[in-house]
Amino acid sequence: MIMEAPAYDSDQVRDDPRLKELSRRVCLPFLLILICICTSRGSLYAQDFSGIVVHAYVSQGFLYSSTNNYLSMKSSDGSPQWTDAAFNISDSLSDNLRVGIQLHMYQLGEFGGSNVQVDWASGDYRFNDHFGIRAGKVKTVWGLFNDSQDIDAVFLWILLPQGSYSIDHKSFYLAHIGGDVYGAVSLGKRAGTLHYIAYGGQSTIDLNDGYIQTFAELGLQFTNSLGGKTYGADLQWEAPVRGLILGASGNWLAADGTAPAGTFHSPAYLVSSMYGKFSRGKVYLAGEYDRIPINATITIGPTVIPFVQDGRSWFAMGSYQLSKKLQLGSYYSHYVNKVADTTQPVNYSKDFVVSARYDFNAYFYAKVESHFLHGTALGYYADTNPNGLSPDSKMVATKIGFTF
Amino acid sequence: MRTARCLMLLLLVSLGSWSAARAQDVVLVANEGVKITEITNADLRAIFTGTKTRFSDGSHAVPVTLKGGPAHEVFLRNYVGEGPEGFRSQWRKVVFTGQGAMPKAFDSESALIDYVAATPGAVGYVSRTSPQDRVKILAAVK
Repeated sequence: MIMEAPAYDSDQVRDDPRLKELSRRVCLPFLLILICICTSRGSLYAQDFSGIVVHAYVSQGFLYSSTNNYLSMKSSDGSPQWTDAAFNISDSLSDNLRVGIQLHMYQLGEFGGSNVQVDWASGDYRFNDHFGIRAGKVKTVWGLFNDSQDIDAVFLWILLPQGSYSIDHKSFYLAHIGGDVYGAVSLGKRAGTLHYIAYGGQSTIDLNDGYIQTFAELGLQFTNSLGGKTYGADLQWEAPVRGLILGASGNWLAADGTAPAGTFHSPAYLVSSMYGKFSRGKVYLAGEYDRIPINATITIGPTVIPFVQDGRSWFAMGSYQLSKKLQLGSYYSHYVNKVADTTQPVNYSKDFVVSARYDFNAYFYAKVESHFLHGTALGYYADTNPNGLSPDSKMVATKIGFTF
Repeated sequence: MRTARCLMLLLLVSLGSWSAARAQDVVLVANEGVKITEITNADLRAIFTGTKTRFSDGSHAVPVTLKGGPAHEVFLRNYVGEGPEGFRSQWRKVVFTGQGAMPKAFDSESALIDYVAATPGAVGYVSRTSPQDRVKILAAVK
C-alpha cells in the first residue's frame, strides 16, 4: 500500500511549512534509525537478527548543468536536492517462503519529498526452481533495469539512460500491487536457460511524480494520485556463452484520474523492450531498445487535449572494472518522440555519458558523471526554466552513497 | 634494454599471480546431508547468483560465501564468472528488488566450515589447505 502525500497541489507541496516539518519528522528519524542500525553492530555486512535480515542504502547527489535546469532542480546554480534512502527487512519463514518489506524515500528537486513509501512488500513462495509466485507490492520487471532503477548502490551510473528509465516518471513503472509468477527452465547444456516472469496488478502515478507536474503545466492539477491496471511479461534467455543474456519484455499499462478541473484517460498501451547484456569478470556491455507509445486525452471542461507520444529509445553502454575500487564506463542514450517533428530539440534527447565509480570499501562509494545532452525532450520543466531552454546542455553529477 | 627489463618484470609478475591463483585453488564443500557428490558449473553459478535454490536432486541448497580473500576471488572468477564487485552488485540488485536474500558471508574459512557442517543443504568453498573433515567435498563438473 502506498503512503501518499496529502492532497495538496504541487506548489503547496513544495512551499507548505507544515509539510517541510513533516518531512523533517519522518525522514530524519528514518535516517537516524538507519545509521544506528549500521553503527551499533561490529560488522556492517547485512544485519542478521536470527534469520531476519536488514539491508539499507542512503545516497546524496549533486547536479550542476551549464545552461538549463534539469529534473526540476536549480541545476544551473548547482543543486544538492537529490537524496535517496531505502531500508528493508526480510525473513525466510521456510525453505520455500520468504516475506519482506522495503521502505523508500527520495527527494529529487521538486519530486519525491516528505513521503516515505513502501517500495515493495511481498510474500514469495517458490514451489521449485521452475515455478514461484510473489504477491503484494512487487517491483515490475521489464528491460534491463526497470525494477532496480531506483537502487543507486547497484550501478556505476548516476543517471540511467533517461529515454528508457526516466527518473522523474519512475513511480508509474517501478512497481505494481498484484502478483508475479516466475521461474526458469533449462534448455539443456548447450542451449542455456530461459527465465520468465509474468505479472498483473495496479500501477499508480504518485502525486510527487513528473507526470503530475506535466499535467499541471497543461492545466490539470491532480489532488489524488491516478493509475490503472497493468500486466506484462519478461522473458530472458541465459545463453550457454557465460555472461550473455538476451531478453524481451512487454508491459501493458492504463491510467485514469480525476482532478477538480478535469480528467485524464489513457487506454492501455504497450511498453516493449528488447535487450542484451554481456558481463564477465571486469567487463560489462549492454544495450536496449524500448518503445513507449501513449495515446491519452486530458479533458478540461469542454476542451479535450490530446496527450500523445510515441517514445522510441535505445542505449548502448560499456564499463570496465579498472581496479578493485575503480570502475569506469560510458553510454550513449537516444530518444525521439516519433509522432512529432523529430528535427526539433523538444522532441529528441541524445545523451553521451562518461562515468566513474570509486568504492572506498564494501559500504561507502562515490560517483562522478558527465552528460553531454542534445535536445530537450526529457527531464525539463517549465517552472524551473521560465526563460526557455537551450537545445544543448552539459552536466556534471556526483553522488556519495552508503549501503549494507 | 630498459624496455626488455620491464617486459621481463611484467612476465614474472604475471607468472607469480598465476601461481598464487593456482595455489589458492578452492574446494567445494557441502553439508554431509547433501546427497549429490558432484555439481555442474552451471548449477553452481545459478545457486550462487540466486536463480536456482535447489540441487539437481531437488533438495534445498543454502549457498554461503566468504566476505573476501583469495579463495573468494578465485571461486567467483572460476565458477561464477564475476569479480567480487560484480558479484556484490548482482546480489544487491536481488536484495533491494525483493527477489531474494543474500547468502550468509563469513569472515573466516573456519567459520564457514562450522556453518556448513551444521546447516542442512549448505554449500560453500574454502581453500584447498583448510581442514574439510566435517563436511562433504563436492566435485565440480562441466
